[in-house]
Amino acid sequence: MSSLRRMKKPIAGLVIFTLSAFTIISVPAHAVMINTAEIFKQNQQDLARERINMFLDRSEVRKNLETWGENPNEAKARVDSLTDQEIAEIATRIDQLPAGGGALGTILGLAVLVFIVLLITDILGFTDIFPFVKKVDK
Amino acid sequence: MHFIFGKLRNAFILLLLSIYLTLSGCSGVLLHNWPQSHEYIPDRYVLNSVLFYPQKAYQCGPAALAMALEWSGVPSNPEVLVPEVFTPSRKGSLQSTMIAASRRHGRIAYSVSGPDALLAELSAGHPVIVLQNLGLSWFPAWHYAVVIGYDLPKAVIVLHSGITPRKQIPLRLFENTWARSNYWGLLVLPPSQLPATATEREYISAILGLEKTSQWKAAVEGYETALKRWPDSLLAHIGLGNSYYALSDFESAEKIFRDATCHYPTEGSVFNNLAQVLWKRGKNQEALKAAYKAVKLGGPLANIYQKTLEEIQTWNSMIK
Repeated sequence: MSSLRRMKKPIAGLVIFTLSAFTIISVPAHAVMINTAEIFKQNQQDLARERINMFLDRSEVRKNLETWGENPNEAKARVDSLTDQEIAEIATRIDQLPAGGGALGTILGLAVLVFIVLLITDILGFTDIFPFVKKVDK
Repeated sequence: MHFIFGKLRNAFILLLLSIYLTLSGCSGVLLHNWPQSHEYIPDRYVLNSVLFYPQKAYQCGPAALAMALEWSGVPSNPEVLVPEVFTPSRKGSLQSTMIAASRRHGRIAYSVSGPDALLAELSAGHPVIVLQNLGLSWFPAWHYAVVIGYDLPKAVIVLHSGITPRKQIPLRLFENTWARSNYWGLLVLPPSQLPATATEREYISAILGLEKTSQWKAAVEGYETALKRWPDSLLAHIGLGNSYYALSDFESAEKIFRDATCHYPTEGSVFNNLAQVLWKRGKNQEALKAAYKAVKLGGPLANIYQKTLEEIQTWNSMIK
């Protein structure tokens, strides 16, 4: 035991030396490559935002918003402040819109369209219709 | 074939419900219209190059995957795939494990959903693994088969299924059983071939799966295939450079990232990765220049660019 105590200083010295040596030498070993999946995610979010803006540009959507007294341009401006998660949520809904078709498709499409518009206005804090939507703090 | 018994009570309720639905004339399944003939694809087409493996009890998953892998050029058989895809407790193979196993063998796993995509892939010469429910939604009998052809005028689909090779079943019946899995279909392709229905994002996403399983050589091949089809793809450039980097082929990585900086002079991530590669190759001054450029361009990943720059600066000052 006493021999170990005598060794305390040299051991501590050795530990300090090795650890600091490791830190200095290993700095460049941590390559900061940006991996493909990261760019993929980023890209996906940009596309989703673009899709929402395109959706808000559609004439029937603008008409809906205006009927309810909302300014479509203000809505578009607010999309920029949405979180990535909210963007993804809205984009998924837009993807679910039926692509034209018969009379039933048109009615269904209109209903889904109104639902998405309301969902967006809810998230943007214009309306308060769906209890499941968390509101943006203004 | 796999039978998974639901709880008896639930089954009973569902039985009553389905009787009600049947009586009220609602089948619940919307049938897609299979074309009698098609402008872009031949009326009938059957692949002869797909070897058949008969399945053992419950093991349609390994059998289907073995057929697809063999066709794609990976020597395989159902026995060796059983430990990779078969889950004994569920007496079956999960879709996710089928996808993972394809990737582990360096193959692109690409999803094919719906009749149009199925016919397009078949007429391009690609067999498709499909998941069918041969039972009913509340009494499922899940089954994997390999679709190898179709005959539109006769309205049949041709599959290697169970213990029957080149089984012909009516399109309508096939669709009913396929619809219950939400038209789940899987293409297992060598990375040098592009799916007929490929979109840039879906295809790159399939290569990302290869990256995740560290199949870097296959990933390189996949990204090269993607660049042939979409020469301007940022994702394919970065993916190719990163895959070369992972293979420690820094020379090729440098070439790709340099090329990418010409295609995307405002994309910080490209300069960031080029800086790393240059630095790995001992070209410290050039690395520093690229890292500066990335920081100057900024963007959502700006803090990473900053870190790259600082590391290269630290290193350069240390070796001076």
